[in-house]
Amino acid sequence: MKITVPTADAVAAGVVGIVHVEPQEARVLVSLADQLQALLAEAIESPIDDDAAVRRLLPDAYRHDPELADEWRRLSRRGLVDRKIGFARTLSTALAPVVSDGIARAVPLTMDTAIDWVRGIGDMRLVIADRMGIIVDGDTGTLGEPGLRDVYDWLAWMQDGIVQVLEVTEPGDGGAA
Amino acid sequence: MKTAPTLDEQLVEQPVHAAEVPWTIVVWNDPVNLMTYVSWVFRRHFGADARAAERLMMQVHTEGRATLAQGNREHMERHAEAMHEYGLWATVEKAPQ
Repeated sequence: MKITVPTADAVAAGVVGIVHVEPQEARVLVSLADQLQALLAEAIESPIDDDAAVRRLLPDAYRHDPELADEWRRLSRRGLVDRKIGFARTLSTALAPVVSDGIARAVPLTMDTAIDWVRGIGDMRLVIADRMGIIVDGDTGTLGEPGLRDVYDWLAWMQDGIVQVLEVTEPGDGGAA
Repeated sequence: MKTAPTLDEQLVEQPVHAAEVPWTIVVWNDPVNLMTYVSWVFRRHFGADARAAERLMMQVHTEGRATLAQGNREHMERHAEAMHEYGLWATVEKAPQ
């Protein structure tokens, strides 16, 4: 995988970054995005979050006031879950053709899709961190199947790369230090 | 946001309306989100400049939490929802009196 900045023509068309994806990379990402969507869809209806990963994806907005926390959850949860599912779906939709064709492809990201990608990737990392047992700073995350750590680090690299192209593009943000 | 009281209102003792009690949005440290990502979210969502975003991100990282904004409860809840969209752990708290 490679993340590059687009040509001037593509920039004019609203493209902020290009992700060069191999079919096997697309397969991993689509699989993770699908699992994330399923986990979130389940969370909409469930009255209690017995999965720590769900509690981290959808934390309480009030720490010491269960009444306010419940009220907030009642009012915001469905919308929040729908939007998070949407972020993950943006990834799977963009990458499905790479999987089905089995051919490496350059996937262009607009500002909106890039922001969906960094959020979706971030949510995948939150779930993987939970499965690996990364709960506080310094946890090495020894749980979970072998290879999960590589995926976790790869996702971090990808998210960081997309944030970098967004930083180049975004006007008025972070330019003058 | 508060408007200036009218003359009539100043003549009676005004109980503080619940909406006027200031609330804050607090972002908590987590071991997952990248420092660069957190800084970027602070710049993008709160409009912080690069230096302020970096300082607040470091505060989250070293002190475990940082207060990003203050205002009425509804407004802080919208910030909480936005932070959760970005995968940051954020809660709404009453501002210290």
